[in-house]
Amino acid sequence: MRRFDYARTSRAGEAVDLVAGEPTGAFVAGGTDLLNLMKDGAEAPDLVVDINDLPLSDVEVVGEAARERLRIGALARLADVAAHPRVSRELPVLTEALLATASPQVRNMATVGGNLMQRTRCWYFRDPDFACNKRAPGSGCPAQEGQNRWHAILGGSDHCIAVHPSDLAVALRALDATVHTLGPGGRRAIAIGDFHREPGAAPERETALRHGELITAVEVPLPRRGTRSGYLKVRDRATFEFAVVSAAAVLRMDGRTVRDIALAFGGIATRPWRSAAAEDALRGRRLTDDTVAAAGRALVAGARPRTHNAFKVELVQRALHEVLGALGDDR
Amino acid sequence: MSQLIGRPVARVEARAKVTGAARYAADAQVAGAAHGFLALSTVARGVITGIDVRAARAVPGVLAVLTHETMPRLRAPDASTGYFKGFVPLQDDVIHHAGQPVALVVAETLEQAKEAAGLVRATYDAEPPRVVMADAMDEAYVPPPGFDGPNDLTRGDVDEGWAEAEASVDVTCTTVMQHHNAMEPSVTLAAWDGDRLTVHESTQGVTGTQQSLAHAFDVPTADVRVISPYVGGAFGAKTTWPHALLTAAAARHVGRPVKLVLSRAQSYTSHGHRPETHQRVRLGARRDGRLTVAEHVTTEQMSRTEEAVYSPNAGTRVHYAIPHLRSVQRLVRLDLPTGIFARSPETTTLHALECALDELSLAVGMDPVELRLRNAATEHPETGEPVNWHQARCLNRGAELFGWADRDPTPRSMRDGGLLVGWGVASASHVAGGIPGGGGARATLSADGTALVQCGTQDIGTGTYTALSQVSADRLGMPLTSIRFELGDSDLPSAPVSAGSATLQATVPSVAAACGAARDTVVRLAVDDPESPLHGRDPERIATAEGHLFVRDDPERRDSYAAVVGRHGSPVVVHGQPGNTTALRSTGAVFVEVTVHPRLGTVRVRRVVGVFDAGRILNHRTTRSQAIGGIIWSIGIALTEHTLVDAASGRVVTPNLSGYLVPVNADVPDMVVEFVDEPDPASPALGARGFGETPSTGASAAIANAVHHATGRRVRDLPLGLDRLL
Repeated sequence: MRRFDYARTSRAGEAVDLVAGEPTGAFVAGGTDLLNLMKDGAEAPDLVVDINDLPLSDVEVVGEAARERLRIGALARLADVAAHPRVSRELPVLTEALLATASPQVRNMATVGGNLMQRTRCWYFRDPDFACNKRAPGSGCPAQEGQNRWHAILGGSDHCIAVHPSDLAVALRALDATVHTLGPGGRRAIAIGDFHREPGAAPERETALRHGELITAVEVPLPRRGTRSGYLKVRDRATFEFAVVSAAAVLRMDGRTVRDIALAFGGIATRPWRSAAAEDALRGRRLTDDTVAAAGRALVAGARPRTHNAFKVELVQRALHEVLGALGDDR
Repeated sequence: MSQLIGRPVARVEARAKVTGAARYAADAQVAGAAHGFLALSTVARGVITGIDVRAARAVPGVLAVLTHETMPRLRAPDASTGYFKGFVPLQDDVIHHAGQPVALVVAETLEQAKEAAGLVRATYDAEPPRVVMADAMDEAYVPPPGFDGPNDLTRGDVDEGWAEAEASVDVTCTTVMQHHNAMEPSVTLAAWDGDRLTVHESTQGVTGTQQSLAHAFDVPTADVRVISPYVGGAFGAKTTWPHALLTAAAARHVGRPVKLVLSRAQSYTSHGHRPETHQRVRLGARRDGRLTVAEHVTTEQMSRTEEAVYSPNAGTRVHYAIPHLRSVQRLVRLDLPTGIFARSPETTTLHALECALDELSLAVGMDPVELRLRNAATEHPETGEPVNWHQARCLNRGAELFGWADRDPTPRSMRDGGLLVGWGVASASHVAGGIPGGGGARATLSADGTALVQCGTQDIGTGTYTALSQVSADRLGMPLTSIRFELGDSDLPSAPVSAGSATLQATVPSVAAACGAARDTVVRLAVDDPESPLHGRDPERIATAEGHLFVRDDPERRDSYAAVVGRHGSPVVVHGQPGNTTALRSTGAVFVEVTVHPRLGTVRVRRVVGVFDAGRILNHRTTRSQAIGGIIWSIGIALTEHTLVDAASGRVVTPNLSGYLVPVNADVPDMVVEFVDEPDPASPALGARGFGETPSTGASAAIANAVHHATGRRVRDLPLGLDRLL
């Protein structure tokens, strides 16, 4: 195994300085992804900074009464967030996405910050003997013509069609979350929609984070009374598996009319995918088979399927029907 | 026979396994052992033009980096020893498949060996590989007669069969490459003492591995000892494979014991796999459902270097009464590793047959259970002997337990809430036994009243230790706790490979014989011993139970094994001779309920009933466990398992349990399992037949048939994922 240095600190500033000072430095929290990547040789940091001692595990409600926000520490474990009473009561989409993630053992270790930073499951990325533009820029993308049943139909490029694997990030995208960070240049807040990047010509750049920048918390506005939400995950076995397709919906009705709606999707795109076009097709309208079908068509209008993943174009539209059917049951 | 036979006693080694006391091959402690790690080819076809090992050699702790240029020359062992690879790697520069070893690194620690293996740089003159079977179907050929006779055979007159047929189906189906994924990966720990070799190996055949190694190194078989007391699953992957030979050669080269454990990823190319198949099944029947003809053409993927066909069509040939039959077994050569045993070659072929029968039941308008009952064989289609399996009883009892009578035969007719519900049935059927070289056994009775019973077989997780301990205790008349059973060592009386559901039939006769003869010997010692309360009694009227010997109609007049052997002054040692083992067949019927999400296509198995006939059941707990395990494999075959190969490189892209989906607990419903449990008079194993592979047949077809019933969609290609049902 490759040698690497290990450091552990209880001060966020020191953790940032350590990683920022080492070009291949990496933070480790739950270790549920990084350690596998290191064993497989897909990542090879010279320095691993253990941040488990940082005081970033709290889940709390902040802000004044009308604009309450849930502030989730970056080191909060997925299992703890899912079980938080305000989350399970007011944010079903978040709880459902978390409980659909991995296995109970993984959820007990994996953290919210780490989950947003996890790398794609693309097997060409994870096996260093294959070319991969994400891992080795300029080397090529065998997925374009290869085994691409699990790859993206949206947000891809000729350089990369790897899917972002997170369930949590899809739910956060539908909830308009904000990612709070501490970097060498200080603190900043990044809208979740700006956090993950499409690959374009630089698939090695996956997020808005600069090297050494650390996620400290994720904030989610608590929804207004009457908001419904849900998460649907479609996969090849019953559990402990990444999404083939997933759909998150947050919905507020005005009588039988959609007052506001947020729709985000996983499994189909290179980043957690929000579809304004699909939302526009439903906002101010009733939820009928026809309007939902129109939203589905809008969602996949720009889809570019490859050899083995064309079924996702159909499947994601059906997932949209299904998740809205479960929420808008008065149509 | 005492009440011990059949009793659902817990595994005798259970405590050792759950406490970690059981020493698997990689747990063996051998002083001075170094660690080996393989570097594998990244190309699938070509030659090695150069191999740079300087960086690997420079890693601290590295003792040797052996390549095709430096590895000592080895003979390729014969396939009869269980070495199914047509060549030994690291002997020349030719690459036959991706993942073929190109170097073996030996170092002081595993971490050093692994790091150095990653630094070996091979360059290749590579050609584009051919790994897609559909692109090479016109190259399919019928190999010459092999293991089980001709690969193209006709019984009766096929034309006549078609002339008699009033209904027919013509079904083409495909199955994919799949892997074993035993929990314990393959392990070799090899140590030389002069020209004598001792190997701790995770193997399903200590005798075969011993012979393979003796062949490879050209040493007498007696100079090789293979030890394998515990095996964490084998499933056809643990006969002898190249890593064992290479590790032993490396140990000799560095003059130290060497331990090598295949990584999970390496296990996808370092032993065999279940090959991809393309099958065409044509069935003809009269209107009353009776089959008149079957033609089954099976085409399997094969490597460039072997020619291995192990009777995949056996189920079609013998399970049903089919008067006119043609069976063809073909191969297509591709630049892939050896396609061979993974659980069983009969699994995918019985799947095709049982799905075709479901289609036939619709073609003749008959319930699929009734169709199978009408075609149940009463005499063996190839030998004419009466069959000893009770297929009709399995079908009828299964239908009763499942509630089959309530099934509406119309597809898409059954629902539960928003879900489509489907019920499907299939027969299970698999060869049991018939591997030559039946096991010998030895019983040693000591003055402490215990028996050491030994047989060079293996327990690959099926419960062999327990079943043979029960047989020993039963034959001796001792409590189970007085039996110590040893197996998994080539120094013990030899037994055949644990494969083909052959273990019981190969070992029970000699174990029973050794223990029966040991009992008789002690009885004679007692009646001849003036100090024994049994002195002078008729040995025929002496019974044994719970470690005691007593006069059958005067049980107070008794002696004990401990006392008799103690007075005798030395242990009583008796050998049991290997018996003949014939190929029998274990069968069953599997009923499955699935749900299918009408919009998303997700298939879930919700209920399974399996009724099996494996002759007498020696232990209801371990046999039920095998049934459940086999059905779970079958769920994987039907729904999730798929080794994906990248066509451009010829490399497996799913070499881990994240990419290769085995069913998880949530995919597996509670199951009802029952056995006919009647002794088979043809079995030499107290009426018990081998069973291991039977339950991995049947359920996959029952699932596919249930999906058709639920949806009206006939999916003939596996795995039956949601994308096939949109």
